[in-house]
Amino acid sequence: MAKTILAVDDSGSLRQMVAFSLKAAGYDVVQAVDGQDGLNKAKEKTVDLVLTDQNMPIMDGLTLIKNLRELGSYQKVPILMLTTESSDEMKAKGKAAGANGWLVKPFDPKRLIEVVQKVIGS
Amino acid sequence: MEIKTLPIAELRKLLAAVSDHGKQHLIEVEADLLQTTYLLSEAIEKLSTSFTAVHEAVCEQQQVLDALVAKYAIEKPVLEKLETFKSKIGEEVNVAVTSLQFQDLTSQLIARTIKRVNGLKDLLHEVESHSNEMDPSHEHEEIVKFLEEISNSLQVGSHALSGGLRRSVGQKDMATGEIDLF
Repeated sequence: MAKTILAVDDSGSLRQMVAFSLKAAGYDVVQAVDGQDGLNKAKEKTVDLVLTDQNMPIMDGLTLIKNLRELGSYQKVPILMLTTESSDEMKAKGKAAGANGWLVKPFDPKRLIEVVQKVIGS
Repeated sequence: MEIKTLPIAELRKLLAAVSDHGKQHLIEVEADLLQTTYLLSEAIEKLSTSFTAVHEAVCEQQQVLDALVAKYAIEKPVLEKLETFKSKIGEEVNVAVTSLQFQDLTSQLIARTIKRVNGLKDLLHEVESHSNEMDPSHEHEEIVKFLEEISNSLQVGSHALSGGLRRSVGQKDMATGEIDLF
């Protein structure tokens, strides 16, 4: 059974490229348009990996991670940030919030898949 | 010409004109930025749709080729050529997926620029709004107060502009970003 990844980003084109890349590698993808939408969808079905942007309306990525880590079912689910932000300060905040990795946009599909496979397997 | 009194009225007129003129320019800048945003949004939507459709067609074409290769005896040089094409297509697809993320970066930069334009408009509005009547018998004190008010408003506005608009996009090109696993 294919593993499911929740992709959270307010940019439709970015979500489309993430979904395209992950589906091509055999993963199922659930998409969310902001942190709140991501949190709602994560509660509906526990996914194998969360890939989230940082700067989004309504709820940002760091807040989403903090909320997810408070849910029992998401305490050990890998969460990766995929964002334009690249400062050490933001990465430290991400790590403190509970992120397992930080990917700076734009992403290369091949490298994204390598990271995802490393984190959750094929 | 001897000036017996401070040209306060002229100063106010000048500041009002500068403010008005500046705001007109900024309104045009904002309109152009919004138009650019719409054009980029439409472009990325069409590019993404076309890209996905081309990729699906290429995948189906590859399936047909694979079936033909399995059914018929194809010469080795032809098979090698097909593999080279397949590999080349894969590499170009990766480059396209990376490049098609441009709109996410540009939309953030444009949104930040529009916020700065609006911040400047607010500052110019502040310059224009300090137009209360002055007491002619206290001209010097009044103009000092007037200039202090404008200065304070500009300081508050500048602080708000620099504080609330952290730079979230530092990318100078579309090269792929770094990856850190914690």
